[in-house]
Amino acid sequence: MSEAPFLEVEDVWRRFGGFVALEGITARFSRSRVTAIIGPNGAGKSTFFNVLSGALVPSQGRIRFKSADVTGLPQHRFLHLGIARSHQITNIFPQLTVHENVRVGAQALHARYDLWTHRQRRPLLADKADAALAAVGLQDRRRRTAKLLSHGEQRALEVAIALVAEPELLLLDEPTAGMGPDETKQMVHLIERLAIDRSILLVEHKMKMVLGLSDRILVLHHGKLIADGSPQQVQADAEVRRVYLGGCDVRA
Amino acid sequence: MTRWPRLSAPGTLPDPARPGSLAGGSIRLSDWRVPLSIVALCALPWLLPSKALAVNVLVYGLFALGYNLLFGYTGLLSFGHAALFGAGAYLTGISIGQFGVPWFAALTLATAGAGVLAFAMGVLSIRTRGIYFSMVTLALAQLVYYTALQASSWTGGENGLRGFTVSTINLFGARINFLDPVNKYYVILAFAACALWFVSRVLNSCFGATIEAIRENEARARACGYDVGRIKLLSFVLSGLVAGLAGALSALHLTIVPLDILHYQTSGLVVMMTLLGGAGSFFGPFIGALAFLLMEDVFSLWTSHWQLVVGAIFILFVLFLPQGIWGTLIALRKRP
Amino acid sequence: MDAQLVLMQLLSGVALGAVLIMTALGFAIVFGMLTVVNFAHGALFMVGAYAGLFVVERTGSFWWALLLAPLAVGAFGLLIERMLIRPLYGRPADDPILLTFGLGYVLIEGVRLVFGTQGIPFATPPALVGVVNLGFGFFPLYRLVVIGVVALILVVLWLALEKTKFGLIVRAGARDPQMMQVLGVDIRRLWLIVFGIGIGITALGGVLAAPMRNVSPEMGSIVLAEAFVVTVVGGMGSLFGAVVAGLLVGIVVSLTSLFAPEMATISMFALMAIVLLVRPEGLFGKPGLGV
Repeated sequence: MSEAPFLEVEDVWRRFGGFVALEGITARFSRSRVTAIIGPNGAGKSTFFNVLSGALVPSQGRIRFKSADVTGLPQHRFLHLGIARSHQITNIFPQLTVHENVRVGAQALHARYDLWTHRQRRPLLADKADAALAAVGLQDRRRRTAKLLSHGEQRALEVAIALVAEPELLLLDEPTAGMGPDETKQMVHLIERLAIDRSILLVEHKMKMVLGLSDRILVLHHGKLIADGSPQQVQADAEVRRVYLGGCDVRA
Repeated sequence: MTRWPRLSAPGTLPDPARPGSLAGGSIRLSDWRVPLSIVALCALPWLLPSKALAVNVLVYGLFALGYNLLFGYTGLLSFGHAALFGAGAYLTGISIGQFGVPWFAALTLATAGAGVLAFAMGVLSIRTRGIYFSMVTLALAQLVYYTALQASSWTGGENGLRGFTVSTINLFGARINFLDPVNKYYVILAFAACALWFVSRVLNSCFGATIEAIRENEARARACGYDVGRIKLLSFVLSGLVAGLAGALSALHLTIVPLDILHYQTSGLVVMMTLLGGAGSFFGPFIGALAFLLMEDVFSLWTSHWQLVVGAIFILFVLFLPQGIWGTLIALRKRP
Repeated sequence: MDAQLVLMQLLSGVALGAVLIMTALGFAIVFGMLTVVNFAHGALFMVGAYAGLFVVERTGSFWWALLLAPLAVGAFGLLIERMLIRPLYGRPADDPILLTFGLGYVLIEGVRLVFGTQGIPFATPPALVGVVNLGFGFFPLYRLVVIGVVALILVVLWLALEKTKFGLIVRAGARDPQMMQVLGVDIRRLWLIVFGIGIGITALGGVLAAPMRNVSPEMGSIVLAEAFVVTVVGGMGSLFGAVVAGLLVGIVVSLTSLFAPEMATISMFALMAIVLLVRPEGLFGKPGLGV
């Protein structure tokens, strides 16, 4: 396949003072459906996402998205290039309504400097917001103040805000954090639907979910990439077993 | 206890039944905020003990309106707006006094000049985050203060700028005696009305939603794709334009520009007025200016140390009524 | 250029720097520990000067003033923290700025009420009057003494922070207040005490500066700006940065007054503007403090 990789991470390091959070990560991604990134706590998964979404600049190494070098670009540029993320710790606009939360996300890419048009007189933005809310199932909640939503609804709102940016690459950082089994199932279905039209990178802890959902799994440990392959390959990988399971056998 | 008003306010919710419409069928006061404000301000001179007080309320209310755009709506606590207010005043005085520029052109020039200064100050101060911003803006304004002090051939130095009295103005062919307090008030009100309309327009616009989002959660806004630095800078400039206009009008009103106008105590004054009135509310700044100047008027009858009382009241507001007079009233009205 | 003249100006710069360090140190301590930007800082400096004046008038001794005024104003600082600042923890970060600004406003007017609006000359203590022959010129003795006192204070502060248990707790608390609470440290007591110490040091600066500056209710306003400039140049939250920046600013201002006297005060702000352009986090600040 001579097609240039969709996303390319080349020898990326990230240090915080003396602490090495990411050590020489190299990976290539094509426009596959769902790629999961797993690893024990502190493995560097969120740092990796921060680097991929532009929130952090790598200390070393390069990141290329659709053949363009995006290393070191300011964070807001990443959205315009087509990379959006949701956050592990819910990061919404608490005082705004649900609809406004998402509309603001849509506005960022279309009308942020518009000093003149009344914010409601741009039906395009409202429609995009409605579409994103419908996709995550929050359309009935659109008038609620965001901080009054339940935890699961707030996680869905997180995803909606990322979704409304119409990204080609969607980074979901533990979308089911704190969710019970029913809500998790809904989120899994959502991710499956979303994966039809875009590439998804997913950080998760729920192994069953990850194994069932992803086409490819990357395993991080202490900032290093220790495994990279299909779910079957990763499950069988000795190093992964040692790190996660202490050598025990486990079936999905 | 938060200072900012709840943002799910009338006028910001879309109506699902009629997409694109603003009012969901009922009359919302906030949609009429500009005409209502203007009507209230028209009545003001007749409600206050003196016309001079009314003009001051108008001028400082306008100053606070501009300031509120940056502080109340974008969430940036600037302590340097005296530089913008003062720049508007000095540029007006210098244009008229030393260059014989007609008054309207002088106003325009002064407002634009304040905008340019706001851009320069913004570029330097927006690089710093959060609470450091307040420090830097104060220091930058002091830079302007000391520069004006030194450039006394232009500014009159410690004695202030004089010699640019405008006594009559030609407005659409009519000769208006500007020295008459009532005439003066309504001419200034005409400019204030334009500024009110402009600010309301900006606050209702997509940009208005943008700055509120940044105030709500700056990190999130950045993660949504907003160039936060640039947007803050734009807000700073817009705020500076309005503050500069207020300063220019102040110069026309007083016919002198005292050096102290540039001192950070003036910056503090507009901060206090904005908070007392209600930061993040539209008409709050005028209410705050009114409250502050009324208190000065009344308290100075009893004691020359009225600032002690007003300062203490301000502290009480910060502790217990951070939404200000108008902001608290709005919040009470919205409670089911 | 006359080398002796430049040398004298350099020394003047160091003396000025010493005063600037004093103005900035108390501010940096309160900011570094509590992340409170104290807009009453200048007013408290001024209150310190007046407190010193008060003590000198009652006791006739400058030395008593150096001791009692900072203690009294520091105690006042404890009261301020307890009654006015503490209620603001957990509220938006701008609120302490607003409140302390109001406090400064009240303090200035309060001083006017008690001491009058006119400036009061503060006589240099008789023992320290006069000049010293340094070989390359004559330098006021008092200003040399100020340099010495400030250096002493810095040494004491350094020892307290680095070598005592209290200092360790203070430094750790600045880094990670939550961890300190977990470890059982009463963080609120700690902040109370540190605030008081910061105010005390500020007041001490006021007493030291009083013979060199006209004591008036307005004397604090330039101090506030100076503290900000030094903090921005040195780096937010860095005490070492405040010391270095204080000296740097003092020397820059002093040398500027040699070549272009009218630009002297402006040069301080120009320096700050340059630092903001080139290195917004300050000389010793941590990067990432910018937008």
